[in-house]
Amino acid sequence: MSRREGSLEDPQADSSISPLPHLESKIQQTHSLARLLTKYAEQLLQEYVQHQGDPFGLPGFSPPRLPVADLSAPAPGHAGLPVPERLRLDEAALAALPPLLDVVRRRQAELNPRALRLLRRLEDAARQARALGAAVEAVLAALGAETRGPRPEPAAAAMAAATATAGVFPAKVLGLRVCGLYREWVSRTEADLGQLAPGGPA
Amino acid sequence: MPAGRPGPAAQSARRPPPLLPLLLLCVLGAPQAGSGADTAVISPQDPTLLIGSSLQATCSVHGDPPGATAEGLYWTLNGHRLPPELSRMLNASTLALALANLNGSRQQSGDNLVCHARDGSILAGSCLYVGLPPEKPFNISCWSKNMKDLTCRWTPGAHGETFLHTNYSLKYKLRWYGQDNTCEEYHTVGPHSCHIPKDLALFTPYEIWVEATNRLGSARSDVLTLDILDVVTTDPPPEVHVSRVGGLEDQLSVRWVSPPALKDFLFQAKYQIRYRVEDSVDWKVVDDVSNQTSCRLAGLKPGTVYFVQVRCNPFGIYGSKKAGIWSEWSHPTAASTPRSERPGPGGGACEPRGGEPSSGPVRRELKQFLGWLKKHAYCSNLSFRLYDQWRAWMQKSHKTRNQDEGILSSGRRGAARGPAR
Repeated sequence: MSRREGSLEDPQADSSISPLPHLESKIQQTHSLARLLTKYAEQLLQEYVQHQGDPFGLPGFSPPRLPVADLSAPAPGHAGLPVPERLRLDEAALAALPPLLDVVRRRQAELNPRALRLLRRLEDAARQARALGAAVEAVLAALGAETRGPRPEPAAAAMAAATATAGVFPAKVLGLRVCGLYREWVSRTEADLGQLAPGGPA
Repeated sequence: MPAGRPGPAAQSARRPPPLLPLLLLCVLGAPQAGSGADTAVISPQDPTLLIGSSLQATCSVHGDPPGATAEGLYWTLNGHRLPPELSRMLNASTLALALANLNGSRQQSGDNLVCHARDGSILAGSCLYVGLPPEKPFNISCWSKNMKDLTCRWTPGAHGETFLHTNYSLKYKLRWYGQDNTCEEYHTVGPHSCHIPKDLALFTPYEIWVEATNRLGSARSDVLTLDILDVVTTDPPPEVHVSRVGGLEDQLSVRWVSPPALKDFLFQAKYQIRYRVEDSVDWKVVDDVSNQTSCRLAGLKPGTVYFVQVRCNPFGIYGSKKAGIWSEWSHPTAASTPRSERPGPGGGACEPRGGEPSSGPVRRELKQFLGWLKKHAYCSNLSFRLYDQWRAWMQKSHKTRNQDEGILSSGRRGAARGPAR
């Protein structure tokens, strides 16, 4: 999605043309993208658990919810926030996901080197998260809402954690957590955009 | 799944976990409330074991929350709860497990051995890698396409089933000098293959071998020595044309072009032709097509569509003495033989058995004669052409004779009435 499409300040634009159709179109497109990525995220999760082996993927499997650097699940009160604030949180999460998905992919490349489809899905998920995050940011800009400023790179905290000894089982659990977070946040983004899409409650 | 008896002392081989940029792992020893993270630790972590060996493992609780004990803990392996008789409490905070006669790992990422609290929550996990060291790869075969590259294929030892991820690496070096090189483009023509795209020398032998490595060891194949020129193959001959031979109902002419990539070097190329009837799956092969770019198929069924393919073997290239490697077959080219004009059973000519040119006593003798001519004369093609011309002439004169006899018959009848005045 091009930022150019979301610009509402084109001096050449005919002032009689309302910017609303453009904004609606952008919201609708982003909402469609989020819906598509929600489906892909679900497929990624299924593919991931399949390659880790049981009990991953078994009903009732409840591993420790290890905290993930710079990212947590949507808070219980997320849905009660104003839509622009929700979208800001969505956008921040989507921006944090790609490097986490990259780390999972690298680890899975060692643990499951022949799982080419899984590795491809993880690579695609990182790209898709970036794309959706950029699209949400464009929607926020079109709404005139502030977006978050540049985020500090998580390198310092990440590198500290990186030096810790990492066993295979915790790595599998952590990968599951990241894939789960990816699914939760794209699904959350779809729902939040649905509030703004034509025909939605907003 | 392991047998249900305590086994001998564990023979686990503890492999140090890799240090990786896991950006996400929580700080050890600082579990989140209610998360169950790091409240226990399993030892050994991620061991590698031989199939049939035993393992003794422990799950030690940290004591967080205070007062936590090993009472009520249990083990699962790949989601299946292990029999309680395999476990015993070593002390208040440690539960031990003894597994014997281990089977090969169920998945390449390792079998999941998990220590659970009484309520089923996961306290810790460790991944077991149970398998076999690799056996020697064998049966390496290589070929070069147009002398520009080299592709090799091999068979993994023990059919490749080690239950562990096994890495195969194709290595090569010039026999008398040079360093070891490693092939980089794998799985090009199947799971156990590699392609070397460039920088290959001719007229000098290479040594090629395959190294197989997994967590339990490594194995190396025998060394294959070859010169690129001895394993050359090429593209199928292009521009294959199949056409009728005049009105001859049992023959088709096949022509092709020498493969262009090697056309300047194919001094001794040999070709093979195969053909089949349109609705048959049985190919007939014409083997004896030496360094020619045309051939006549004879003894075919009249009025029948045939599919024809040609392939090339660039043997003898640059003086190589080896057999060479056949190219793929060309795309099928179709043509039909003319319908027979002679009445016969089934409405068509009696086709020779098997469609071979030599069937039938006359043709057999002719083939022998032409074979002799080929050895002792330089005009075998001319001979077949002459023969076909003769045949066509015979057919034509047979028709003419029939017509003449018809006229003659009527003439005789006329003559019986007396000569014309």
